[in-house]
Amino acid sequence: MTSSSVLPAPEIVSQTENTMVLSMGPQHPSTHGVLQLVLEIESENVVKVDPEIGYLHTGIEKSCEGLFWTQAQTLVERMDYLAPESNALCYALAVERLLGITERIPQRAQIVRVLQMELTRIASHCVWLGTHGIDLGAISVFFYCFDLRENILDLQEAAGGARMHPNYVRVGGLNGDLPDGYLAQLDALIDKFPGRMRELRGLLQANPIFQDRTIDVGGLSAEEAVAWGVTGPSLRASGIAYDVRKAFPYSGYETYEFDVPTRTEGDAYARFLVRLDEMDQAMSIIEQCRKRLDAPGPVMIDDPKVAPPPKETIALSMEALIHHFKLMSEGFRVPPGDVYQAVEGPRGELGYYIVSNGENRPYRMRTRPASLYNLQALKGIGPGNLIADLVVMIGSLDPVFGEVDR
Amino acid sequence: MPSTQKPPLSGAAIDPPALRPAIDDAVIERVAPADLRGVLEAHKRDGYAMLLDLGAVDYLRRTPRFDVVYHLLALSPLAASVPEVGTPRRLRVLCGVEDGAHLPSTTDLWKAADWAEREVYDLYGIVFDGHPDLRRIQMPVDWQGHPLRKDYPMRGPARERSPRPAFAGKSNVIAGTPPAGRTLEALQEEVRRAREQ
Repeated sequence: MTSSSVLPAPEIVSQTENTMVLSMGPQHPSTHGVLQLVLEIESENVVKVDPEIGYLHTGIEKSCEGLFWTQAQTLVERMDYLAPESNALCYALAVERLLGITERIPQRAQIVRVLQMELTRIASHCVWLGTHGIDLGAISVFFYCFDLRENILDLQEAAGGARMHPNYVRVGGLNGDLPDGYLAQLDALIDKFPGRMRELRGLLQANPIFQDRTIDVGGLSAEEAVAWGVTGPSLRASGIAYDVRKAFPYSGYETYEFDVPTRTEGDAYARFLVRLDEMDQAMSIIEQCRKRLDAPGPVMIDDPKVAPPPKETIALSMEALIHHFKLMSEGFRVPPGDVYQAVEGPRGELGYYIVSNGENRPYRMRTRPASLYNLQALKGIGPGNLIADLVVMIGSLDPVFGEVDR
Repeated sequence: MPSTQKPPLSGAAIDPPALRPAIDDAVIERVAPADLRGVLEAHKRDGYAMLLDLGAVDYLRRTPRFDVVYHLLALSPLAASVPEVGTPRRLRVLCGVEDGAHLPSTTDLWKAADWAEREVYDLYGIVFDGHPDLRRIQMPVDWQGHPLRKDYPMRGPARERSPRPAFAGKSNVIAGTPPAGRTLEALQEEVRRAREQ
C-alpha cells in the first residue's frame, strides 16, 4: 500500500479521579443509527463528549469514481436515505453545470424537481419528529408522522417506481413524466396535510413534558453555530436566516413565494419549532408547484448526447439506436472542470464538489454532508449537561448516518 | 461491477480545475502551502465566518499531487438580532500539496475544520500540523493506507477471498487485484516514471 505515516492513535479521553468513561452506542436506540459517544462523566453530568463515527462508512465517494456519471446517480441517493431526492437533485445540478446545460432543463422538469424536493423534506422531517418524540417518551407522535410519510412514499413510488430510492431525478431532467392519477393523489395529500399538522403540533408544541425536556437544552449561539459549520434548521433556530434556496437559488426557487422561518433561542425547542414551520412552508411550495403542473411539457432535455432516446423510437430510428447504445455502453463524457453545487436539504446545506477530467466517470466527487457538521457541534454543546439531555440534542440535530459516514 | 477497475483513458486532463473559469457562484483562489495560513486568516477577518467544507482531490500525475479545497461562506451581518443575512458569498481556496508535505491546521479559525481535517488525513494521508486530535475518523484506527488516493485499489487492499465450500481449493482469484496484467507495484512504478518525466 501507499507508504505514508500512520500516526499512533492518541488516548480518546483522559480518566481522572472523579470522572469515569462511558461508551454510549453504537447500538443504542437513541443515537439514531450507528453513532458511538465516548463520554467522560462525573456522576450524571457530562464533562466531555467525543462522537465516534465511521461505522456506516461505505466508501460511496470512492465507488462513484469508478461508475459512469449516470450510474453514480443511483449511489448518491443512498447517502441521505431519508431525503434521497435532495442528493439526486444536487448531483444532477452539479453535473448539468459541468455539461453547461443548466439553462436548457425543461420548465416542467424543474417544477417536478422542486415538488420532489419539498415532498422529501416533509417526509424527512416526519421521521425526525417521530423519532425525536420517541426519544422523549411520546410514542404516539411516531405513528402520526409515519402515516403522513407513508402518503409521501406512495407518491415517490408512483413517480419513480421505488419508495425509498426512486432515482427519479436524472441528469438532464427526470426519468419520466408523472403518471396518471398522480395529481389526484397529490391533491389528497394537500387536503390532508393541514389537519395532520394541527394534530402533530397539538401533541407536542404545548406539551409541558416536551417543553421541559427541550427548552434551554442544547443551546447553540449564532456565533457558535457558524463556527461549527452548522446549517439548515439548526442554524436558523439560532437566528441566522441562511437558506440555500434564497441565497443561491436553483431549479427556479426564486419564482416561489415562501418564508425562511427563524428563531433566536437556539435550543432544542427552537429547532423543533423551526422544522415544524418549515414543513408548513414546504407544503405551501408544493401547492404552488401543483398549480403550475397543469400545463403539459417535456421533462427531459432534448439532447441525445445526454438523454437516452424514448424507448419506442429505438426500433424505428437508426440514430436513436446508436445514441441508446452509446449512452448505455459507455455513458456520456463531461468537459473537464470543477464545480461546487449546493442545495438546501432537510438537514442543511448539502453540497457536491465534483471534478471531471473529461472522461465518462467522475474524477472526484466530494460530498459536503450537512449532518457531519451539524453532529460535530455536539462536542461544543454536550459538556455540562445531563446524559439524558444528550439524547435530546442528538435528536434535535437530526443526523443521518448514511450521510455522516458515506 | 467489472467496470470499476479501468485505468484512466489516455489524454484525460491532468489538472481539470485549471482548464476552465468558474462555473459556479464561488470565487476561486489558488495558494501555495506556505501562504495558506495567512490567506485564510485574512479571509476570516474579511467576513468568511463559516468553513463550509474542507476536502481533497488526488491528481496523481500532477505536481503537486493533491489539492486541498477549502469552501468558505460569508454571511453578513452575523448578529442574531438581525435575521437577514444580506447576500452570502462563497469562496473556494485550492492549495496544492505534495505527497508527504504537511499543512497548517485551521481548527483555531473554524471549529468545523476539526472533523474535516481528520477525514482528509484519514482518506488521503495529508497531515495537518497543530490539529488537536489528528486520528482516523471513517476507517478503523488500525487501517493501513488511505482509501481515496488514486493508487489505492477500488476494491480494497489485495486479500484472499474467503473460500466457499464449492470452490475451496479450486479458485486462486484474489479480490482487489489491479487491472489485468499489471501488479500494483508495476502501476506505482509506472506512475513514478510518469511523474519524473
